[in-house]
Amino acid sequence: MKRILALMLALAMVLTMGLVSAFAEDELVDGKFAETRHITVELFKRGDNDPTVTPFAEYIKNGMLEKHNVEVEFVIVGRWSEPDDLNNLLAAGNAADVSYTYSYPTILNYADMDGMTDLAPYLEKYKEYLPNMWNLLGDLNIYYDQDPENGTLWAVETKLQNNARINTFIRKDWLDKLGLALPTTTEEFEKCLIAFRDNAELLLGDDAARMIPYSTSYDIGWRNNNLVVSFVPDALSDEEYYIHGYDDRQMTLPGAKEGVRLLNKWYNEGLVWKDFALYGSGDTTEDDNLKAGFVGAFQHNYDYPYRNGDDSIDANLKRNVGPDAAFVAVDCFQNDAGAYRKFLGSTVDRKICFPATNDEILASLLYVDFISDPETILFLQTGKEGVNHERGEDGAYIMKTLDPTDPYYFNSLNNIDYTMTCNGLYLGEYTDASFAYSYTGVDSELTINALAVAMNDGRVPPHFNLPAIESEVTVGSTLTQERDTFLNQAVTAPVEDFDRVYDEGLANYMSIGGQEIMDERIEKLEAATGYVHQAD
Amino acid sequence: MKTYMRRYGTLYLLLILPIIFFLLFRYTPMAYILMAFKKNNIIKPPWQVAWAKNNGFEWFIKAFKDQLFLRALGNTIKLNLLDLVCGFPAPIIMALLLNELAFKRFKKVTQTILYLPHFLSWIIISGLALRLLADNDGLVNILYKQMKGDPNAVLPFLSKTNWWTASYIALGIWKEAGWGTIIYLAALTGISPELYEAAAVDGAGRFRRMWHVTLPGLRPTIIVLLIMRLGSILGSEFDRPLALSNKLVTNASTVISIYVYQKGIQGGQYSLTTAVGLFQSIVGVLFLFGANSLAKRFGERGIM
Repeated sequence: MKRILALMLALAMVLTMGLVSAFAEDELVDGKFAETRHITVELFKRGDNDPTVTPFAEYIKNGMLEKHNVEVEFVIVGRWSEPDDLNNLLAAGNAADVSYTYSYPTILNYADMDGMTDLAPYLEKYKEYLPNMWNLLGDLNIYYDQDPENGTLWAVETKLQNNARINTFIRKDWLDKLGLALPTTTEEFEKCLIAFRDNAELLLGDDAARMIPYSTSYDIGWRNNNLVVSFVPDALSDEEYYIHGYDDRQMTLPGAKEGVRLLNKWYNEGLVWKDFALYGSGDTTEDDNLKAGFVGAFQHNYDYPYRNGDDSIDANLKRNVGPDAAFVAVDCFQNDAGAYRKFLGSTVDRKICFPATNDEILASLLYVDFISDPETILFLQTGKEGVNHERGEDGAYIMKTLDPTDPYYFNSLNNIDYTMTCNGLYLGEYTDASFAYSYTGVDSELTINALAVAMNDGRVPPHFNLPAIESEVTVGSTLTQERDTFLNQAVTAPVEDFDRVYDEGLANYMSIGGQEIMDERIEKLEAATGYVHQAD
Repeated sequence: MKTYMRRYGTLYLLLILPIIFFLLFRYTPMAYILMAFKKNNIIKPPWQVAWAKNNGFEWFIKAFKDQLFLRALGNTIKLNLLDLVCGFPAPIIMALLLNELAFKRFKKVTQTILYLPHFLSWIIISGLALRLLADNDGLVNILYKQMKGDPNAVLPFLSKTNWWTASYIALGIWKEAGWGTIIYLAALTGISPELYEAAAVDGAGRFRRMWHVTLPGLRPTIIVLLIMRLGSILGSEFDRPLALSNKLVTNASTVISIYVYQKGIQGGQYSLTTAVGLFQSIVGVLFLFGANSLAKRFGERGIM
C-alpha cells in the first residue's frame, strides 16, 4: 500500500512539474521572456530601398528585444507581387511567423490544407498581454473573420484608419484658362472633357496631339469607380450589396453597365486615352502622361496626385507645366437620389496570419501588440524630429521632404509597410491637424479638399458574420483577370456593339465563377440572417 | 567482355554523374505527379494526402469542365500550329538564302545581325513592340495617322485579337528565325561540293541546285527538328505570351502555362494544375512517338 502511495505521489510530482514547466515556457516576467526568443516577420518592399536596414526596422528590432526579449528577423515580400510571393513562401514552408496579406482567400486556402494556426484559442489565452492590439483593433477587427459555426479564426484584420477610396481629379488651371467652373454634375464633367479635346492647341501647343481629356487604366472598375457607382440605385440594400460584394470594384451591381456604357461613349468620342488597355499593372506610362501635363481628368485613389513627395504627380506637374498647374478633387457624379455616393472601404485592411510553422505564438502575438502600441506607431509615422518632421504651433507634425537616398526616407506613405496593424495616420489628438502636412510639398488646401470630397456621401460596405465562402478560394484568381478583360473590351467596342460585348463578357464572368460565389453568398446569408434574396 | 570493361570502364564511371543528376533532379520529383490524383495540399507530401474524388480523377474532370482551361488548350494549339506553319520554314529559307551569298564578309555580318534578336528577352521585345505598335502612341500608328491624314485611323496590332495573333507570330519569327539557321548552316557544310559541281555540269542553275542538292541534304536535319517541334505542340512558352499580352486580347493569349500560373502559383490550386501539366506531358510524348514513327515510315532515321 505504502509503495503504491509513494508511486502515486511521485507520479503526481512529475505531473505537476511537467505542467509547471509547460506553463513556464510561456511565462513572462514584466512582459519579458526569460530566454531570448526568435521570430520572423513579413515586411513589404516597394522600390529599390532595402526596408530591413532602415532606422525604422532597427527601432522595431530594438524595441522588441528590450520590451519582450524577442529577436525579430524580417522576411521581405514584394508589395506588388504580394499574394504570389506569400503563396510561394507558404508552399515552401518558409513564410514568416507573422505574415500578412490583402488576400483572405490565400489564407483560407492554406487553412484548408492545415497550413494555418487557429488564432482563437491563443487570443483568449493571452489576451491580458495584448492591450495595445485590443485597443487599436477592437473586437470587431480581431474577430472579423471568425467562423460563426466552429469558432475558428485564421486571420486578424488590421485597421484602416481612413476609408476614403476614390476621387475624381481635374486640371483646375485648364478650366481657368477655358473660363469653365469646376463641374458639379456628370453633364458638366463631360462638357469639360469635350472642351479639353477641342482646345488641345490652346492647352498644349505643340504637344496638342498628346492631349488626353480623360485618362484611365486597364483596371476599369477601380479607375472609374465614382462614375460607375453613380449609376447604382441609391436604394440598394446592405444585403444585396454584400451578395455582389466579392468584387470590390462593384462591377456586378445593378446599374454598373450604364456607367461603363457612358465610358464607352466617351472612348468613341475621343475623350479617353486610347492606349489605356495595353499597359499592365505597375507600368508608369500613364503616370508619365499625368506628370507631363497631357491629361485633363482622371479617377484614382483619393490622394493619388499628392503621394510620393518630390516625385508626386503634383510636384512633377508644377515642374513641367508651371506653378499654377494642379489636379483638384471634384464631386460631380450624382446618383438617382441626387447624392454624390462613393463606395468607401471598410474598417479592415491587411490580414495578419500565423502559418502552422509558427512555434512562437506568444512572441508573435507580442509583436502584433508592440507594433500596435501608439508610441511605436507615432515614431514610425512621423520619424525623427528635425529629420522627418517639425512640430507646428498647433502641435501638428509637419513632414519634411527627404531625398530617397536618406536613411530616414519613408518608402511608403506614413510608413505603412512597417505599421502592420495600422493603415492611415494614428497620432491621437494630432491626427487631423497633421493630415494635411503628411503630403510633403503639396498645398494643404488640395489634400484637405481631397479627403473631404472622397468622404462626402460615402457608403461603408456591410459586414455579416458568415462562414467562409469556399468558392472564393478556388476561382478568385482567374476571376479578376476575366473581369478586367471584358470591361476593357466593352469600353473599347464600337458604340453599336457595346451591349453585345458587355453582355457576353458579363455572362462569361458569371459562368466561370462569379455566379458560384454569388450563390454561395446568398445561401450563407439567407441561412444566417433569414434574408430572402429576390432574383433580378 | 572483361577486356572491354577494362578498356572502357572509366568512361562508364564518368556516366555515373549525369545519371545521378537525372535520377535526383528529373526522376525523383516525378513522385509528386501523385499530387494530380490527391486532394489539394502543398504542405504535406502527396503520399500522406487523401485521394481526390472520382477515384482520384477529380482534377482532370474539373479541368475539362473548366471553360478557361479549354480556352487555354485551344489557344495553345492554335498559337503553336501557327508558329509551326509560319515559323518552322523561316530558318530553312533563311539558311538557303545565306548559303547563296557569295561575298563572305557580307554573309558573316548578315548572320550576326540575324542572330542578335535571339539574345533579347521577351520583356524587352514587348517594350519595343508597345513603343512601335501601340494604337495611339506607337511610332507605326503615328506615321500611319499622318499618312492617312485621319487622327482616328489605326492599325490595331496589339489590341484586336486577330491582329495580335499575327503580331505574336511575326515577332516570334523575327526573334528566333536567325538563330534557327545555325543548325541548318552547320548541316550545309556537310554536303559534298562535288554534288554541286556535278549538278552544275548537268546544266542545273542556282535554283535547281538549291532544290535538288541543298534541300535533300538538309532533309534529315529538318525531320529531326520537326519531330522535336511536334513533341512540344502542347507545350507553351510562358514569358512570350505573358509579356506580349494585354487585357484586350487575353481571350487569345492565355495559353496553358499562363493558366497554370494563374491557377497554381497565384490561386493555390496545385493539384488541378499538376493534373493539367501531366495531361500536357502525356500528349507531348504521344505526339513525339507519332511523329517519329511517321518519319520512319517515310524512310527517315527518326530520333529513337
